[in-house]
Order: sequence, then C-alpha cells, then structure tokens
Amino acid sequence: MALNLRKLTAGVALGAALIVGAGAVTHAQDAKHSIVTVVKLSGIAWFNRMEEGVKEYAAETGHDATQVGPASADAALQVQMIEDLIAKKVDAITVVPNSPEALEPVLGKALDAGIKVVGHEASSLQNVTYDVEAFDNAAYGRHLMEALAQAMGGEGEYAVFVGHLTAKTHNEWVDAAIEYQKEKYPNMTLVTDKLESNEQQQTAYQKTKELLRTYPNLKGIQGSAGEDVVGAALAVEEAGLDGKVKIVGTSLVSVAGPYLETGAINMISFWDPAKAGIAMNKVASMAIEGKEITDGMDLGVEGYNAIKLDGKVLYGQAWVDVTTDNMNEYDF
Amino acid sequence: MNALARIFATPQGIVFFVAVLFALVLGLINPAFFTPATLIDLARNGLVTGIFALGVMMVLASGGIDVSHTAIGAFAMYATMKIVLGIDLDLPIIAYFVIAAIIGAGLGLINGVLIGGLGLNTLIVTLGTLSFFRGALLTFLGTTYITSVPREVINFSRTILIRIENAVGQMVSLPASFLVLVAVTIVLAIIMNFTVFGRKVYAIGGSEEAAQRIGIRIRRVKVLIYVIAGAIAGLAGMTHVTLSRMANPFDLVGMELNVIAAVVLGGARITGGHGTVLGTLLGVFVITMINTTLLMAGVPSYWQKFVIGCLIIVGTGLPIVIDRLARHRQRMKRPLEAG
Repeated sequence: MALNLRKLTAGVALGAALIVGAGAVTHAQDAKHSIVTVVKLSGIAWFNRMEEGVKEYAAETGHDATQVGPASADAALQVQMIEDLIAKKVDAITVVPNSPEALEPVLGKALDAGIKVVGHEASSLQNVTYDVEAFDNAAYGRHLMEALAQAMGGEGEYAVFVGHLTAKTHNEWVDAAIEYQKEKYPNMTLVTDKLESNEQQQTAYQKTKELLRTYPNLKGIQGSAGEDVVGAALAVEEAGLDGKVKIVGTSLVSVAGPYLETGAINMISFWDPAKAGIAMNKVASMAIEGKEITDGMDLGVEGYNAIKLDGKVLYGQAWVDVTTDNMNEYDF
Repeated sequence: MNALARIFATPQGIVFFVAVLFALVLGLINPAFFTPATLIDLARNGLVTGIFALGVMMVLASGGIDVSHTAIGAFAMYATMKIVLGIDLDLPIIAYFVIAAIIGAGLGLINGVLIGGLGLNTLIVTLGTLSFFRGALLTFLGTTYITSVPREVINFSRTILIRIENAVGQMVSLPASFLVLVAVTIVLAIIMNFTVFGRKVYAIGGSEEAAQRIGIRIRRVKVLIYVIAGAIAGLAGMTHVTLSRMANPFDLVGMELNVIAAVVLGGARITGGHGTVLGTLLGVFVITMINTTLLMAGVPSYWQKFVIGCLIIVGTGLPIVIDRLARHRQRMKRPLEAG
C-alpha cells in the first residue's frame, strides 16, 4: 500500500514536472500568471503537502505557480522573500504569514506595486486582496461537537481543552461547540471550565487523569491543540477506560496516528493544506483576471464549494475528518 | 525555642507543613484525594520535574542558577531518538538513557566552560544557552514529532512497578521510569553529602572568596557541576519520552520556572550554599500537588495560575520571613541578657 502510494506520488510529481516543463517552453504566452506562495516554514510535512497542491494547480492550469518558504519560521525572513518577489514583479503573492502584523508594511508595498495578495490563516490581515480561510471557526467548532455528540450517543459528561486560554482560534472553536451542545444536546453536560494544555501532551495527560478522577462518569473529551487528544488518549488508555471515554479534536495523523489506530481517539479533524494551496492560487488567478469573488461561489476545490464571503475574507467548509479507516490517506 | 518551633524554622519543615495543610484542605473539599492512588499519580506526574529539580538544586547550592536545563533535556531526548532511529540497532533501554546523559553532559560542558572557564554570570549564560540549545534543536535536528518510537521504549513505557485501582474503578500505575528518579536521587545524595566534591559545591555557594582561599579550584568544580547537571537534564529528557511515548521537540522548554520554584520551595536559596536532596523532592511534591489537584478542588482554569503564583510566593517567602523574625528576636534578646 505504502509502496503503491509512493509510486503514485512519484508519477504525479513526474507528470507535474513534465507539464511545468512544457509550460516553461511556452513562457511567452500572455494568459500565464506567475503566482508565488510564501509559506511559514519550508521542509515540514504540513507545507510539503501545501506544495503538492500548488504544483497540482500549476500542472492543471499551466500557470507559473511555485512555493517558497524560509528555513526557519521567521517573519523577518518572510519579509525579505516578499521584497524579492516585489522586485521580480510577480503577478500575485499568496502568503501564510508567521506574524500577520509584521507583514502588513511589505504586503502594502506589494499592493502598491500592483501585485495581488492572498493570505491564508490570517483573517486579520489588512493589506490583502483576499484572505482564504479553510473554515469559519464557529462552524468548525460546531462540527467537532456534532462528532463528539454522535460518539457519546448524545448524552453524558464531557470536558474541553484549549492549547492556551489566550489562544483566539481555539476559544472560538470551543465556545461555538459548547453553545451548540447546549442548544442541540441538552442531555450532555460540560463538567468544568475550558482546560489549558499549554499545547503539551504531558499537561493534557495530567489534566485528563485529574478529570477522570474528579468526574468518574466522564464520557467525552474535545481537544483543540494537536497534542490535546494524544495526551487525553494516553491517560484514558492507562486508566483502562478505552472506548468508555470518546475523544474528538483537532490533530494531525502524524501526531495522533498511533491512538487513531487503536481507536483510543475516535476522530481527528484538520484542513488539508494542499486544498488550501489550490484555493489560494485560484483566488489569486481570479483577482489577476479581474474576476469578482462573490458570496456562495464555488471555487471548484473540495471544501470550497460554497464559500462565505465576509469583507475580504472567504471561508470554506474544508475540514477533513480522519478516523482509523481513512488515516492511511494522509502522511502529514 | 521548643522542638516543634525549631522544625518549623527549617525550610523543609515549612514546606512539609504547607504540603500537609494543602492536602488537608484538598481532602476536605474532595474526599477522593486521600487514597494511595493519588500518591501514585503524584509520583508519576512529578517524575520529570523531580529529575530536573535535582540537577538544578546542585547548581543553586553552588550559588548559580540554571534555566537552560529544559532545553538540554529536550535536545538530549530528541537527539537520542534521532540517533537510535538512524543507526537502526536494537539497543537495550539502558543504552538510551546513557546516550541521553552523554549528550546532556556535552551541552552542560558548554555551560560549564562559559561559567567556570570564562567566569560569566550564570543567569545570563544559561538564558543564552536556553535559547541556543533550543534553536539548535529546532533548526538542525528538526521540528517534526517522532511518534513511532522504538519498541524498546514502548516496552519500557508499559513496564509498571505498581498498579492499583482507585476509588472509582480506574487503573492507576507507577511506570518503571520512576526508577530513574530513584537512581538520580541516590547518586546525587551520595555526591552532595559524602564526597569532597559535594562539600566543595556548598563551600563555593557559601562564599566563593573563602572557598578559593582554602584552596578549592573553583573553575574546575564549576565546570563539573554544569556537566553533571547537564547529564541529569539529559536523563530527565529521556524519561519524558518514556512517559509520553513520543518525542516532541517543542516539549519541556517552558517548565524551567516550575522546576526552579520547586527547588526554591525545597529550601535551596538563590544566593547559594543551601539545598538538600530531600528538601528538593519535597518541593517537587508540593509543586506537583498544586499543579495537578486544583481541578479536583474545583478551582476554575483562569484562577489556577493565580493560585499557583500565590502558593509559590507564600511557600518561598515564608521561610525567609521566619528566618528574619528569628534573627530579630535574637538581636532583641541580647542586650537584655547582657544587662
């Protein structure tokens, strides 16, 4: 299976290379846009996956779409890269900023130079043409709660984790989830405040141990940071409560894999960076061509079929749910 | 002063008193607290903090401070896993700990050379190396989680010393990694109490000037202190892997203040010359108890940090206040007796 997958990726990569090569020959063609995606950090699994999406887009459309990123997750290095791109006069820059505030000036400069700018994971950015978000945080929170409620049979005690009590997105997910539960699943009860894991698996583990001791009837846990569900699952497993406590949350297969396999974690969700990469490039292309983005539009990318437009920010419904059944499809 | 008052005047006595008081309050709020299962949970949760704390105690006793220990631990843990996965050999679990300790000692040597050799300020140096070691780890070794740890590590994680059922029918277990803490405790207790080196550490912490005059080669002793502290931090890092069953390079760093608070609660002084193995373990016990039982006591999440801060201030401040008061009383007495 793994071997097949590798062959397949090699094939796709080769195909992409051929098409990109063919595209390079016809460089003089007018309609060809040069779009560069600047990511937080190059070489990590998450952005390698995004690059697959960018390459796929380039292969499909013949546009000159590429991805670059600094060797360390440093805002200053991103600023330098964007300066270079402005000097090169690319048609559009799509960017996943390390620090949205730090990039505002240089992105403003890019806009002034007539370059279209599309952001991702940065709904607060001002100097952008558009910003693409995989989903609306509240909708995602409700989605996770629905999954937890389904696993718990719609009743029983549950608890929620956030990475930090100050983490904006995590709190938005969890607040929406709790509100949704109160409305739709009155037989479920939240046992205590939002718990803080500090994005550390061992802290999530210790807090879960304590939760189990204090609330022996606990039936469900919803995590926010990638480590939350893993720490919770380890605690549940050690307490001999596998299957009795349902665990659902945001994580990645590369982090939660072993526990998904045993079923200690019922479901994890995330968004696919490859799809986000394609969506960003599509939006950039449309902006270059002067096409307008409208509410409810279909970008033709899975998860972005009916986007919600709020100012310059577009939201998809691009979450991906992974259980033990489909975990082999994701290698990040 | 009667015997009881004298016990309370010692730092460890105070800590012990605070611990008992805190436990009593918790027990009143939640009767489930007073069970052997709680004790085992505490021992398990305080494991990594405990190992780190012992190394830091030695540094504090010598009059220095080490905030880089968590970065050393994280580096040693991640590097060890990378090395073992890279050479693809079946090593016994003890070899993992040896490799981690050697890497830790190597990084500790850097601290030692800067502090002992060049005579730089310990806080500045270790603040620098904290960032340096962590940066090196994330830049050169990687940022990805290693979730597929070798079989030996998983087997060791699953080896359990004690396993009991708590009041509500959940299993509570003490993992074999607890033996690492036991071993470090024994070795360090011997070093600090029964060797010339241990005496030298306290002497330097008490007064560097005096220590030098009686012929202690301060530089050499200091280098060795940081090498040993580094090795202990390496062991703590490896222990962390066996507890979490994965190696996350972002782990550990961030808990250094917690560790230092535990050591100071345990009677070591930032000014040096004081600190015992037993006191440190007590301090770790109290910190772990505070950190992992506030939920049980029904303290809301936002309040937990506040409460932890208050307890640390009271716990570390009280012994000093009591000490001052005792001295003050002595001073007041003197002229009366003379008259």
